[in-house]
Amino acid sequence: MIFVAVGTQFPFDRLVKLMDEWAAEHDEKVIAQISDGKYLPQHIEWHRFLDGAQYNKNIQDAAVFVSHAGMGNIISAREQGTPIIVMNRQYKLGEHRNDHQADGLKWMAKLDGVYTASTQQELFDHLGQIDKLQPADPENRAGNPELTAYIANYIKTGKR
Amino acid sequence: MKTDKKPKILAIASPGGHWIQLNKICNPMENEFEVIYVTPGAQYVSAQTGKTVFNISDASATSKHMLIPLTLQLLWIFARVRPAAIVSTGAAPGVIAFLLAKFLPIKTIWVDSIANVSILSRSARMIKKHADLIMTQWQTLSDDKQVIYKGSIL
Repeated sequence: MIFVAVGTQFPFDRLVKLMDEWAAEHDEKVIAQISDGKYLPQHIEWHRFLDGAQYNKNIQDAAVFVSHAGMGNIISAREQGTPIIVMNRQYKLGEHRNDHQADGLKWMAKLDGVYTASTQQELFDHLGQIDKLQPADPENRAGNPELTAYIANYIKTGKR
Repeated sequence: MKTDKKPKILAIASPGGHWIQLNKICNPMENEFEVIYVTPGAQYVSAQTGKTVFNISDASATSKHMLIPLTLQLLWIFARVRPAAIVSTGAAPGVIAFLLAKFLPIKTIWVDSIANVSILSRSARMIKKHADLIMTQWQTLSDDKQVIYKGSIL
């Protein structure tokens, strides 16, 4: 199963449509969370929103998670041990308030378990070799004890 | 019998990436502090055992009319919880909470989202003068004085 999610803030019809086109040509179950998108997929099971438990279960069950280039989904995918392909929203297409997702793609590509696509070709290339996509190493999935300890100490002592 | 009470922290974020990063930072603090979570997306939070989650109105740059209910809700939560500190990763609810806390004996700690690579978020720039501590997750954005870098959650 492939799980597709575009966040809850804005629709991302371009990605949903690409995945619908891909699903039409491939024998693979695809489930999508499409937010307020206008495009309603024909070839995939879609939901506007999912509750947290079902959402996380879908990430966990998926062979690959296809997402907008949002941090939350990247962190969740790494935690659940599922490889993630992220496609950036584009400001010029009205898909976000700014182009930070395009900038983000550059450093996201350096994270293990994260694959980036800015075009249909790149997205379909990744999907063409799902078996080769690797999840993040469990050692570096998320959290930072030093950062948390610094904040905790500042709250208790007021010292930086 | 007197019990040792842990200091209370309000952990505030909007849903999605901000919320997930907030949890990565604040969940490990639950040993030392009583962490009370505040988010406009409480309905999306799966039953997290033992966590207190307050729901608030969603306000963003595009929904300014929600600022008044949001302000009242935050003040009510401040009065009820009496937190020692507020930690926020953004966005709008954190900004409003920090502006209100400025006049109260509550420490405010902003941790800017890891998504902000080349410049601090608009929210962080708005509260820069008002926050007690601002953390960035990118070394290049730290000035080692007001904006501190101690690594990222990834």
